[in-house]
Amino acid sequence: MDTNNHILQVQGLNIYYGNFQAVRDVSFDVLPGEIFGLLGPNGAGKTSTLSAIEGLLKPQSGSIIVAGNDIHKKPLHAKAAIGVQLQATSFQPELTVIEILQLYAGIYGVARGREKLFYILKNIRLDEAAGKKFGQLSGGQQQRLSLAIAVLHEPRLVLLDEPTSGLDPQSRRQLWERMESMREKGHSVLLTTHSMEEAEAVCDRIAIIDHGRLIAIDVPQSLVDSNKTNPEVIAASRRGKITLEDVFIGLTGKAIRS
Amino acid sequence: MQPIPKTSTALSSLLRADLVTQWRNRRSFILLLLVPVIILISWKGIVEKFGGPFALSSCITIGLVAIGLMGYSNSVARDRDKGIFQRLRVAPMPGWCIMVSRLLIQLIMIVLLTTIIFIAGNNIDHITLSPLGYIISFLTAIVGGAVYLGLGQLIVGLIQNPETVNSTSRLTYFLFIMVGMFGELGVLGDQMKEIVLWSPYGTVKRIIAAGMQPGTWNSEMTMALFVTIGYAALFSIVGIKRFKWNNK
Repeated sequence: MDTNNHILQVQGLNIYYGNFQAVRDVSFDVLPGEIFGLLGPNGAGKTSTLSAIEGLLKPQSGSIIVAGNDIHKKPLHAKAAIGVQLQATSFQPELTVIEILQLYAGIYGVARGREKLFYILKNIRLDEAAGKKFGQLSGGQQQRLSLAIAVLHEPRLVLLDEPTSGLDPQSRRQLWERMESMREKGHSVLLTTHSMEEAEAVCDRIAIIDHGRLIAIDVPQSLVDSNKTNPEVIAASRRGKITLEDVFIGLTGKAIRS
Repeated sequence: MQPIPKTSTALSSLLRADLVTQWRNRRSFILLLLVPVIILISWKGIVEKFGGPFALSSCITIGLVAIGLMGYSNSVARDRDKGIFQRLRVAPMPGWCIMVSRLLIQLIMIVLLTTIIFIAGNNIDHITLSPLGYIISFLTAIVGGAVYLGLGQLIVGLIQNPETVNSTSRLTYFLFIMVGMFGELGVLGDQMKEIVLWSPYGTVKRIIAAGMQPGTWNSEMTMALFVTIGYAALFSIVGIKRFKWNNK
């Protein structure tokens, strides 16, 4: 495969917090126009991996190339190609919705005409809330605004850290539709999740990470097919038919993670 | 290659947002201003005994301590706790833009504080300075403000928890004001008076007072200025080196 086509290349990533190794020799690629899911239990290393890709933390070793730019050697070029929705995204509570949009439009170098910004708000059904402060929005509204800001500058790669966490089913479904719409427009999406339903619903490929290591990468159905005879997966199965969740539990274990 | 937005556009957007945020928090700034103005009003006797520059410089110094310790450190700690810095850091702009915008706002606050104290001093105690005195006072107030902004940065650099930052800032503010004011007046003894004179409180106050009367500037004031700059540099460097952008 021509690796120059990859929108994201992560190679040999190792991340330590003091003496604790959170990410161990992780390597994967994301293709243009692909929704790639990073699945793992709590503490597996998903957010650490994502933080390194975002340039928020420096790995001990490994390389991260975004749209042909090394995140550490050319951070501004790499970040210009990335749109981000953090797990705990927050904006200045004193600013209104339209002011937050103006701020990030300026930061990302996007045209800031009021008409254009209101058009964006209308598309995400927040035009009537333009004058409200961020803290006054509901959880679903905050997520819609965060996602709108993540794609404001038409990035080639969108990073979503557990984007549907805490959302009701309707909001979650809407978010999935928005991700698919992004893919249709040519954006790539890398999302972290521990929801099997989400992984199966939207992801073109998924990688399972546990204790900092990647233990499987494939399309969801192929992961299921290739693990149908795995004794640990069979043992995890509850209803006879092997599901992605069974594969996940079979590969990562039944123990509850903190 | 992906084009990157202009740093100047990013900085101006940040500055505008930080100005709006500060304006919407103006109640807390007004409260910070009230303390030195109230002290100025209640210090009429001090003005007659020690002179206008003594009173004005004390009030400005008290205001600078409040801006650096209560205003700056608490807002940085709060925004860090909310993850606001993390969201800004993933954007394609140099990290220094985030803090420069914050510091420019504090600079505006320092100039506003100094202006209000001068106006209050003129209206209440009829204290006036020469034009050169006003100019040098503003400059020395800015240098003095850098000491307390540096101290605020040190606090958020060493302490992660926003509640602990808040309580530490308040305690430090109280200690600075009480020990500074009473120590300088000799109430706490001669040794303490000497220590206070060369403390961050004392050196800032002295250079502001000397700036108001440029004719009285001497080598000791020059030394005080260097010590002030040294304090600002020390606090800032340690505070920046130890600063973490998030609490995790």
